[in-house]
Amino acid sequence: MIPEREMFWNIKGSWIFYAAAVAASCLLVFGIATHIYVWMKSAQKSKIPFSRQAVKKSILDIGLGRRIFQGDFSAGVMHFSIFWGFTVLAVGTTLLAVHEHLHPFLTGRSHLLFEASMEIGGIILLGGIAWALVRRYIQRIPRLERRLEDALIPLWLLGVGVSGFFLEALRLLGLKPPWESWSFAGWLLSGLFPVSAAESVYPYFWWGHALLSLSFIAVIPFTKLFHMIGGPGALYLHYLGEESKETSFSGDELPEGLPIRDAVFFDACMRCGRCVRSCPSSGAGEPFNPRDFIQAARRGVWQEHSPYGDIRFMSRAPKIKGDTAWYCTTCAACLEACPVYGAPFKTVLRKREMLIIDGKEVPDLMNQTLERIFHYENPWVSSKRERAAWAKDLNIPVLKPGNVKTDLCYFVGCTTSFDARAQGIARSFSEILTHAKVDFGILGEKEPCCGDIPRVSGESGLFQEKMEKCRNLFETYGIENLAISSPHCFHAFQNEYPQSGVHARHYVMVLKDLMEAGRLKLKQPGGVAVTYHDPCYLGRHNRILEEPRTIIRAIPGIEFREMAHHGADSLCCGAGGGRMWQGKEIRGDARMSEIRIREAEATGADILITACPLCLIMLEDAMKTVGLEKRLRIMDLNELVVRSLN
Amino acid sequence: MSEILLLIEVKDGLPDKKTLELMQGGIDLAGDLGAEVSAVAAGDETSRLAESAACYGMKRVYRLEHPLLKGFAPDIWVGALEWLCRKISPKIVLMSHSFIGKETAPRLSFRLNADLTTDCIGLKPDPKDGLLIRIKPIYGGNAVSVLKCTGLPQMATVRKNAFQPVEKVESKSDIILMTPDLDESMIKVKSLKTIQEPIVEMDKANVVIAGGRGIAEKEDFTMLEALAGAMRKTHGNVMIGCSRPVVDKCWMSSDHQIGLTGSMIAPDTYIAVGISGAVQHLVGMIRSKKIIAINTDPGCNMFKVADYGVVEDYKDLIPALVKRLEELS
Amino acid sequence: MKEMKIIVCAKQIPDPEAPFSNVSVNMEKKEVVVDAPDVISPYDENALEAAIRIKEETGGKIIVLSMGKKVSDTVLRKTIAAGADSLILLEDPAFEKLESRSAAYVLSSAVKKIGGYDLILTGRQAGDWDSGQVGLILAEILGIPCISLARSIKISGSRVMVEKSIPTGAELVESELPALVTVSNEVGELRYVARTKILGLLKRPVPIPKWGMKDLIPGSGILNKLHLVELMPPPDMKRNCVFVEGTSIQEKADRLAAIIKEL
Repeated sequence: MIPEREMFWNIKGSWIFYAAAVAASCLLVFGIATHIYVWMKSAQKSKIPFSRQAVKKSILDIGLGRRIFQGDFSAGVMHFSIFWGFTVLAVGTTLLAVHEHLHPFLTGRSHLLFEASMEIGGIILLGGIAWALVRRYIQRIPRLERRLEDALIPLWLLGVGVSGFFLEALRLLGLKPPWESWSFAGWLLSGLFPVSAAESVYPYFWWGHALLSLSFIAVIPFTKLFHMIGGPGALYLHYLGEESKETSFSGDELPEGLPIRDAVFFDACMRCGRCVRSCPSSGAGEPFNPRDFIQAARRGVWQEHSPYGDIRFMSRAPKIKGDTAWYCTTCAACLEACPVYGAPFKTVLRKREMLIIDGKEVPDLMNQTLERIFHYENPWVSSKRERAAWAKDLNIPVLKPGNVKTDLCYFVGCTTSFDARAQGIARSFSEILTHAKVDFGILGEKEPCCGDIPRVSGESGLFQEKMEKCRNLFETYGIENLAISSPHCFHAFQNEYPQSGVHARHYVMVLKDLMEAGRLKLKQPGGVAVTYHDPCYLGRHNRILEEPRTIIRAIPGIEFREMAHHGADSLCCGAGGGRMWQGKEIRGDARMSEIRIREAEATGADILITACPLCLIMLEDAMKTVGLEKRLRIMDLNELVVRSLN
Repeated sequence: MSEILLLIEVKDGLPDKKTLELMQGGIDLAGDLGAEVSAVAAGDETSRLAESAACYGMKRVYRLEHPLLKGFAPDIWVGALEWLCRKISPKIVLMSHSFIGKETAPRLSFRLNADLTTDCIGLKPDPKDGLLIRIKPIYGGNAVSVLKCTGLPQMATVRKNAFQPVEKVESKSDIILMTPDLDESMIKVKSLKTIQEPIVEMDKANVVIAGGRGIAEKEDFTMLEALAGAMRKTHGNVMIGCSRPVVDKCWMSSDHQIGLTGSMIAPDTYIAVGISGAVQHLVGMIRSKKIIAINTDPGCNMFKVADYGVVEDYKDLIPALVKRLEELS
Repeated sequence: MKEMKIIVCAKQIPDPEAPFSNVSVNMEKKEVVVDAPDVISPYDENALEAAIRIKEETGGKIIVLSMGKKVSDTVLRKTIAAGADSLILLEDPAFEKLESRSAAYVLSSAVKKIGGYDLILTGRQAGDWDSGQVGLILAEILGIPCISLARSIKISGSRVMVEKSIPTGAELVESELPALVTVSNEVGELRYVARTKILGLLKRPVPIPKWGMKDLIPGSGILNKLHLVELMPPPDMKRNCVFVEGTSIQEKADRLAAIIKEL
């Protein structure tokens, strides 16, 4: 006898099965089509090119579960098991159908191999599901929700798997094929049943298993299971986006609708909550979390564009208040954590754009700040006069239009110019430049605002005005090289402005270049332990992670320690995204800056170094409010470097 | 003889402090101009008020009495004062720059075909033509204007504290009862109800502790409350005030506001917490005897007008200060 | 509900938020020189916000009247971008530096020319001269009911109900329309007006009629200019501040406590 599977042993009315299979497939196709319809309706009109590279990267991500293993091994194991278990079974079942109806090939040795693989797939799947349930309901991991759907989906799949094994056991019991031990799990289980039961119970299990499986396939588009289709889509679009560098403004008008990437991401989100865990605002107990925000946005898109409303079951997301959009610091920690590269903060920015256009739900202080930026080129004081006050006695040349002689223009930025504490950055950086004999100048009172605060506040019109102003000014002044104090200004010049001939560097990059050129010799021993806080817009947004560490380590006698969150995993100080100017009426249980300062304290370092004026102010404040003045100092990287110069 | 008419405002049945200051201003002007001062007490029952007002050395006190003058309906009051002015043709009409003065003076000035200057801090006659020279701060107190208007009557409203309050004298003013010609049809704006809100009289305080834009959150005012509590034992009436941003955030009602559009006060001690010192605020508290400023920005304006300053975050300083004050007492 | 025709009077003044180091007095020219751009007087912005909220509820039209020299388009167009339907400028050399009564007279002529209005809203006072007269006198000239210091405004039928600030709290008053209401800051700040909205208006200009002397007041000599005898800088408020120093917060607090004790 040649090993082979009896497909419809003891089953009558197999046409019902085929009818149900067709129905399930129709539902699946209908659901997916609806998603695609909504994407096309809600997204900007754009072509999606084919990219071999993007496909390759996406497949690697999916197959290896790279984004899921990242930062959470336990979750990675869970997903990897379910993914591969499910894939093996799905592929196996498809092959079986091919074997039955098109071309019988699962006979003999291949049948035995097939049976064994199916056993392994099933066991891995069940193990994965069990592990998922343990994580959600026994370990009760905080980022995981416990809604009805979250229980139903794994139990459903568990039902499919378990019924499959029992089914097999009964079949083996009834038919007793000599190769039964190849189906080792079913074979072991068959010992549990009396032989007499096999024939009578088998049809019930068969139909139960068939209906559970088919309905599972049918509900994919209507539950969070849709991430099986949306996820790969989102990954592909992400890698596609990486290939073409995007800036905020390419033309005059904002394009209608969402970027296609976001439309797909909304549906790819399966509420894993990694963004919630990494969000500094959620962490400080503020009434904002990226997951709920994205779900609300998704619902909004579906309400607007779907012909049938939201087709997802159990997706009644809590109502999101309008002011929630003002909590996000745009720190991008969510993007770092998201398995499908979703960027909730970009959705927040779009919501802010809408709130700004509407005008009614803009926090008062933000309203005043934007007016101030419009009139006075800075968010701090209603006057342009004091912008260069920090440089009064320093004899720094002020650049003039048509200037061709100066190598470097130091773009000081608003906060560094006006805030008493942050002015230390400007003073020490200019001292370093002078020491290194760099030919540089400042713009003095003529220095405009870069527009980044308007940009992150959703005031794109004002951002554009400021951008044009800056670009015109750089042109008329003949400026080619910029050194910038603030990572926020730097980010705007680097990533949000259209490409131009101006070479923009954050001061960390300037220091590093000077060091490499041997123009900056750090001689004086530090003799202290320091730790470094990565500013979000320097680290996560622009990947300048190693440069500041290299500089710090170059100081002789300094002991460098890392905080629990560092590098791309750094925690936001709470000032980004315009939060510094949104008034303190929006506030959580704890302050983000205080949470951060506690981490710095835990390293036992004497000095906390940062490289951003906003971080400097926030951390300095927090250091005082938690009462660490005696134990910890907050310094800008320039201030640390200056101490080691002579 | 030409007549200077001023409006008496009442507080607990007697002329209030602003009115006493106004009387002194009127008497000074009358001396320079060779005029007589009259005051008008308006209301439905004015005998006690008029009796009391008659002790301050003015020529006469009009009792402008009518049942409709009960309470303060601006339409009626403007009508009654217009009636009186037409009757006696005063050369000068003065009112306090108070709620009543602000509501009635502009409308009265139109009806009398006169040009009014509001919120004056000084008045003097021009020796050449006898017209009123009006001194009025403008641009939130950043400049002081000196103005003149032609025509009669000459009208002005006067800011609190512009003059010393008048002293009582032996002689009594003549009291003249008048019944203006008023009727219900003059009321165009009907009062439906008044909502009593706790009255805050910042000018009664010996010490005012005021918070400004620098106060991070509403709850932090409990710190100021604690400080007030600690000072009450030794410093008398201590009250909490604020600058305009706090009112704009709806953390405090506008009667706590110190400054140009709030109360103008002159307490013994003024403690400014997190107030940077916009001039609109400074004009309201600059006459305080001692000013203490607490602010994190050493360059802020408040330190320029303060007697004592602490450059520190109030969140740290005030709890420590309260603790110490309690130890001391 | 009947659609409302609301007129808002808005004055343009140098930004009152400018720090006082940016304000100086030119005694010779008798001018206050403010190194700050012009803005709409804050209370007038409150009035505009009140008008927009009424419009949102009852529907209707908002017409902004602005009088003054050198009126900057960009600033005033903000009113249209915020939700006003049209803007009329009253511009004439004869309208400069007027006494309040004359300014109100010019406005009243413009209001009569517009005609058919239900409600006039003004700020309680302008942020430069703080006189608080023009609104009240305007109501007198037009012979309409006048309610001042509004915190909130409600329209019901042909009546306006206003909660106004009074020294003892609030008073609820009502009058027939048309009426004039002066608005206090408790009404709320003017909503944010996105730059794109203002820029959009600048690109596709909405016609802004300019009315001068000949459009409004036939004949001349009726208007009184402000007679400024003298303009002085403010009296010096500076005191010599003794800074309480200390190495710790507690030390500073102890020293301050000692000072407070002595007061």
